[in-house]
Amino acid sequence: MAPQAINPILGGRETVSSDRVLLTSVRGQPLADVGLVPRLLAQVAVDGLRRGGDGSPPDPAIFETAAQLFAHETVAGETYDAYAHNVMLSTGLTASSVSQATADIVTQLSELRAVTMAELPSAGFTSGFGTRWVPRGEVFTCLLASNHPAPNASWVQALFHGYRVLVRPGGRDPFTPHRLLGALLAAGLPPDSAAFVPCGHAVGEYLVDVADRALVYGGEQAVARWRGQESVAVRGPGRAKALLDVDPTDEVLDHLAFTASFDGGARCTNLSAVFTSRPVAEVADGLAERLTKIPALPATDPEAVLLTLDRTRADLLGGQLSRMRGDGLHDHSGQLDDRDTVVEVGDGSCVVRPSILSTDRADDSRLGTELPFPFVIVAPWHHDDGVVPLRDSLVLNLITDRRDLVDRAVREPSIRKVAGGLAVPWATAPGIPHDGNFTQFLLEPKGIIGDIAG
Amino acid sequence: MAWHFDPTTGSPFWLRKRDELGFDPNEIDTVADLTGFPDVSDELRSVPVQDLVPRGMAGTVFRVYESGGTTGSPKRIVDARYRRAMLAWARDRLLDLGVPANGNWLHIAPTGPHVAGTDVATHAAMGGGFFHTVDFDPRWVKRLVAAGKRDVVGQYVQHLVDQAETVMATQDIDVLNATPALLEAICARPRLVETVNAKVTAILWAGMSASAETLRVLDEYFFPEVAIAGVYGNSLMGVAPQRPRLADDAHRCVFEPFPETTRIDLVDEDGKIVDYGERGRVRLHLISPEMFLPNVMERDSAVRVAPTTAGGVDGLADVQPYQAPGDAEIIEGVY
Repeated sequence: MAPQAINPILGGRETVSSDRVLLTSVRGQPLADVGLVPRLLAQVAVDGLRRGGDGSPPDPAIFETAAQLFAHETVAGETYDAYAHNVMLSTGLTASSVSQATADIVTQLSELRAVTMAELPSAGFTSGFGTRWVPRGEVFTCLLASNHPAPNASWVQALFHGYRVLVRPGGRDPFTPHRLLGALLAAGLPPDSAAFVPCGHAVGEYLVDVADRALVYGGEQAVARWRGQESVAVRGPGRAKALLDVDPTDEVLDHLAFTASFDGGARCTNLSAVFTSRPVAEVADGLAERLTKIPALPATDPEAVLLTLDRTRADLLGGQLSRMRGDGLHDHSGQLDDRDTVVEVGDGSCVVRPSILSTDRADDSRLGTELPFPFVIVAPWHHDDGVVPLRDSLVLNLITDRRDLVDRAVREPSIRKVAGGLAVPWATAPGIPHDGNFTQFLLEPKGIIGDIAG
Repeated sequence: MAWHFDPTTGSPFWLRKRDELGFDPNEIDTVADLTGFPDVSDELRSVPVQDLVPRGMAGTVFRVYESGGTTGSPKRIVDARYRRAMLAWARDRLLDLGVPANGNWLHIAPTGPHVAGTDVATHAAMGGGFFHTVDFDPRWVKRLVAAGKRDVVGQYVQHLVDQAETVMATQDIDVLNATPALLEAICARPRLVETVNAKVTAILWAGMSASAETLRVLDEYFFPEVAIAGVYGNSLMGVAPQRPRLADDAHRCVFEPFPETTRIDLVDEDGKIVDYGERGRVRLHLISPEMFLPNVMERDSAVRVAPTTAGGVDGLADVQPYQAPGDAEIIEGVY
């Protein structure tokens, strides 16, 4: 079968680009023929967005309709099943992860209004005074990664508030934003509201430079250049951690194993390090015992849990892993399981087997290493260490009876979210910040005085 | 060949080389045999330029030019009349593409040691026009790019475009010559785009690669009424203007070199000429009375395109920087 053609979308229409790149699947087969946007076409896209619209937000009903189209209907000639299949083969996520991601996107698109209400304060002024929250600019750029489709809901949030949006897909998943924008357009989104811009890194940087607000997903190398820039929200590696300060019962170990392996370990909220006041080896062995049982299966298998990867990427990760093992980290999964770390699963794709390592130092520089498969380093933690080793975490799972520690963790600026006990780190409700208040990143309050304040 | 290796007419550079060759250069009579010569282009970085001048041309005033310096210390060539003859040929090619015969030129590209400045000045002069320039130091840009100073590169580009905008606003400019990166910067200024569209008949681009889609967007979105033509070239090989497009061309832009003196082969890793439609590295042979440069491996690769006429020269399409596995990264700046 010829690979599906994916083209840029400008002004609501597919623009067939002469610059093309072939996307191959985790099986090593051609999957999509992607049209790329060079700098000048990106400029055309930006000019089109800046000219279009008056800044008033689209009809909110568009988003709910689009969510349904995205999840169920044929969009621009692509059935939902064809989409899900492509995402599975490009990202390596399992069929069940892709379904879950779709459900997540539908939920997030349906909750846009609720999230807005929850993330903006109601000030309760006296009559004649009020505030209105309005976009901080006109154009919003989102540079996506390909680890998971769910982050696509974030650029839709910018559209919801009246931004005009440039979306650059991750290199491996052009399918999700292409389909989502297609669904939004079919639901009635004005054509000049958004552009789908597959492009190289330099053009991606240009898109961030020209935007009033931007959101950048990616590895540390991809996001480093934007850190500290007020107009850019950065979503780098999650470095999610857990503090285990109670006895490692089956229930607790099952919970930690689950948070390490959910969605194959591809989420930024998947556990990457466990600090414990209990015996390190016991905790690490307990996790290894659970995680090495996860079978290595192709993504299409209903029982599959682990992320599948193409051979090259799998070998790179396998190499990275063996260097860490050879460099003073104790290998607990390897003790139980002497099979190869990188396994071909029969359809040409590979999985990297879960890996549990331990260190005898809480300040080991490898702690926080984030790899796209269940990978956890267990380290010792003493009460005197406090929150210092737990810093730089998108989510910190505190399993402890010490209330003072919870308070200190919540106050620590580099810990972005705190999950207590056996709550899963990705659990959320409308208005619960993922990494700061995204609505207020997009919107700012304006004072309204006089009888117009209402 | 006899000229370049005769003790009374050849250059000191080649006469010194003669003994090292291990064969008699006078026995060379096919183009294929030229690959027997060593690639001496690296020596052009250090040889005193007077040694490059053929003795047979003693007394003629030569000028010296340098290569871009992308791959290290620049290479030097000497030129008296040769480039002018090549440019007269190129002029006809450009007129065929819609470049006006007369008129004033604005050159937003390197001058100084870079031959591009003199070449484009010659074009303007051949049509009796004025030659407006903007100072552009590409080596400085490359250093900034190598140092990761993107912001400074951006400021420098804006500084260049500011100067170009002043010229465009006050002068009658018929032909604009710029690098693709500078055309991008021009396109970011809607009023400047308007001025260019109102005044300019043709835009030439050169100096670095431009993707097929970039060329389409320039042509269809930004400058729909302006003739746009690319010129591939460098100090060593000279210029290879774009040929007119044919209905069945797979590529938007196909370059052809000056057949009288220049032979370009696109070759694979083993030096074998690649098939039509395949990408190969540019290998150059240049034979003129002033310079003899056989078997030069260039820093570019291109797709080989069949000649448009029987016995014609091969075309080059989609020129890109050549990168061998394990090579130091070639920095393509705004030049």
